[in-house]
Amino acid sequence: MECALDAQSLISISLRKIHSSRTQRGGIKLHKNLLVSYVLRNARQLYLSERYAELYRRQQQQQQQQQQPPHHQHQHLAYAAPGMTASAADFGPLQLGGGGDAEAREPAARHQLHQLHQLHQLHLQQQLHQHQHPAPRGCAAAAAGAPAGGAGALSELPGCAALQPPHGAPHRGQPLEPLQPGPAPLPPPAPAALCPRDPRASAACSAPSAPPGAAPQAAAAASPPASPAPASSSGFYRGAYPAPSDFGVHCSSQTTVLDLDTHVVTTVENGYLHQDCCASAHCPCCGHGAPGPGLASAAGCKRKYYPGQEEEEDDDDDAGDLGAEPPGGATFAPCKRARFEDFCPDSSPDASNISNLISIFGSGFSGLVSRQPDSSEQPPPLNGQLCAKQALASLGAWTRAIVAF
Amino acid sequence: MFLKFSLRSVFYGAGGGNDIQWCFSQVKGAVDDDVAEADIISTVEFNHSGELLATGDKGGRVVIFQQEQENKIQSHSRGEYNVYSTFQSHEPEFDYLKSLEIEEKINKIRWLPQKNAAQFLLSTNDKTIKLWKISERDKRPEGYNLKEEDGRYRDPTTVTTLRVPVFRPMDLMVEASPRRIFANAHTYHINSISINSDYETYLSADDLRINLWHLEITDRSFNIVDIKPANMEELTEVITAAEFHPNSCNTFVYSSSKGTIRLCDMRASALCDRHSKLFEEPEDPSNRSFFSEIISSISDVKFSHSGRYMMTRDYLSVKIWDLNMENRPVETYQVHEYLRSKLCSLYENDCIFDKFECCWNGSDSVVMTGSYNNFFRMFDRNTKRDITLEASRENNKPRTVLKPRKVCASGKRKKDEISVDSLDFNKKILHTAWHPKENIIAVATTNNLYIFQDKVN
Repeated sequence: MECALDAQSLISISLRKIHSSRTQRGGIKLHKNLLVSYVLRNARQLYLSERYAELYRRQQQQQQQQQQPPHHQHQHLAYAAPGMTASAADFGPLQLGGGGDAEAREPAARHQLHQLHQLHQLHLQQQLHQHQHPAPRGCAAAAAGAPAGGAGALSELPGCAALQPPHGAPHRGQPLEPLQPGPAPLPPPAPAALCPRDPRASAACSAPSAPPGAAPQAAAAASPPASPAPASSSGFYRGAYPAPSDFGVHCSSQTTVLDLDTHVVTTVENGYLHQDCCASAHCPCCGHGAPGPGLASAAGCKRKYYPGQEEEEDDDDDAGDLGAEPPGGATFAPCKRARFEDFCPDSSPDASNISNLISIFGSGFSGLVSRQPDSSEQPPPLNGQLCAKQALASLGAWTRAIVAF
Repeated sequence: MFLKFSLRSVFYGAGGGNDIQWCFSQVKGAVDDDVAEADIISTVEFNHSGELLATGDKGGRVVIFQQEQENKIQSHSRGEYNVYSTFQSHEPEFDYLKSLEIEEKINKIRWLPQKNAAQFLLSTNDKTIKLWKISERDKRPEGYNLKEEDGRYRDPTTVTTLRVPVFRPMDLMVEASPRRIFANAHTYHINSISINSDYETYLSADDLRINLWHLEITDRSFNIVDIKPANMEELTEVITAAEFHPNSCNTFVYSSSKGTIRLCDMRASALCDRHSKLFEEPEDPSNRSFFSEIISSISDVKFSHSGRYMMTRDYLSVKIWDLNMENRPVETYQVHEYLRSKLCSLYENDCIFDKFECCWNGSDSVVMTGSYNNFFRMFDRNTKRDITLEASRENNKPRTVLKPRKVCASGKRKKDEISVDSLDFNKKILHTAWHPKENIIAVATTNNLYIFQDKVN
């Protein structure tokens, strides 16, 4: 009767439930999915606080290391490692660039911490001004603070995509290269898992290239690293999410809500934080190389929706790079965008948002399922990883794994 | 097919005190362990006199049992329940506009009080409520002039005399016919129906709205509660159950997934979004977990017969509320507290979402609810004693009183106790009903209906 009561497994289980509820007979049950989303939120809050604490602890350790002579650094690291929790150990390779020197690690960690602070502030801000300022302030502000080169460390963080250095920007390659499946220098590993409809914003999306490769590396501490479709995923990500040509342009997000009473589709502008796609070390999917069956499309790509029509890829998605994806997205459901939501764990749950898909849950509209129900039993590995990793890596404010569009 | 087991349990001799001793009476349903999904019982309800017992199942069928009228002086136990009528209430449907399949599962059955020879009940699935008339036919006209007895028409030229048709007795036939169909009023899944004490109106509740209907009017209903937020992204709770007050025709309550109950007065305004009373118990912070929201969601709410109290069921407990006190329940009973440490596993296997119902006895002194492993629990409000019983074919021999069961939460397991880990979570009792006047209870396991009664000396 025992089960792993850790945040990560709960998140993946919850995602699986939400996804499988789409194909259940009788339509999506609003009540059950609402309850599952609460579990997701709780697990996410715990996950966040754990990571934050670990990051801070890492930061403290590095500060101590700094005062040590350099040749002691490795010892310190070795010393620190056993004391780490599994999650902390997972942090290591990603954050610090598995095996890179301490010099690279230290600013990276510090940078992460700094960004975490900023994200926290941004969340709180956005929570307060949610309805007044739909435009994302967070990303811009965070972008301003993100130095180039340190972004390699961001692969671990669900930072705003705008935080990532532009395509091809010079960076200290060492944090990234070990993460890449191939030797080619790839853009920063932190993907924008989100393709805003806004062309302005799309420019800000970084090219998520490394996540599938990164994650297995990161999960090395937890389990033998697998490389689930690394190259193709990278290619996909690059294609789907245009590389940022500009750094600091804030990203906007749009979410689309279907009101199942009036059948009106409305698009809501919202601030949000990009998530790291597949950057999390903790994704069980990456770690085991197998996607969770029926893992929901977590926040990620947007998707155009018209009532009564099949879902179609958004214009911004570079379908060309998607390669094998058949028209109509039958084998791949791009991940949905993260929804912004209050970050502060102490905030009243009443203030938290429910994914727009909740509004669709009641109708059970199968149009939101990107593929036919019978093929939902074999979701493409890509999709499963993407969603779970996004969920796990997300520091963004979202409680529900499924965001409409 | 229903197999009737007529096992009367007559217990002579010792026993006594005020405690009820429950005896196995009957079990209805298939014997084999292979449960057909359509046979899963989804609702159980006695009518107002207790003579009729209705069950609904996942296949959309309604089966009504009728109690035999026995000579009370002679018999040593109360009459048995035999099949009275079976009919297909709801069929699976498909909503083409939304690409949504509508399950035929009967969510609730509610009886109307009897006004004439016929019986009426409301049955509902996720989207449509139907009013059924169940009537008996025990006579038929015979002696038509133009028709033969088998219905064929006679050649008019052969008719030489005229006669008046007369009614002659026939074998009893029970017919169920749908008299009203209340459709297209609910966007979300209907979870409750409740008939008003005026016997003219009733309410139906789905996840976000409650509608008020007149039993005679099917093309219109009034929306009296709407908790759908303007922006669905702000949704935080849904309606889980609703019921009219048994005596005040203007009062009803509805429970939410957040563990609150709102009492509304329809005289206050047309739209009862603003409650008159809000019943909520603050959460114990030491019990906080990932699943706090789930286990606090109320799965059933029932007024006492007196109308002074109401009972709510959440995942782990039963609470009795005094309508005059909103800040906490007057009584709380733990149904299966030993599950609190197992919530994670129960979440994984979806059992944590099970919606248990609860019911009062006729005098409002005992409440009953179901649990896992085919256990059900009764709590005596006066003596503060509780008992756990099991609905099982194996354990019930004729003429024996049901043996109380005990679950061992941890530590050394005593003889006859069952450890938490050996509980069968697939055997759950979600639906129970108590005869309105007598100590007869109907307990539904997955696909069987058990009837127990107290021992009669």
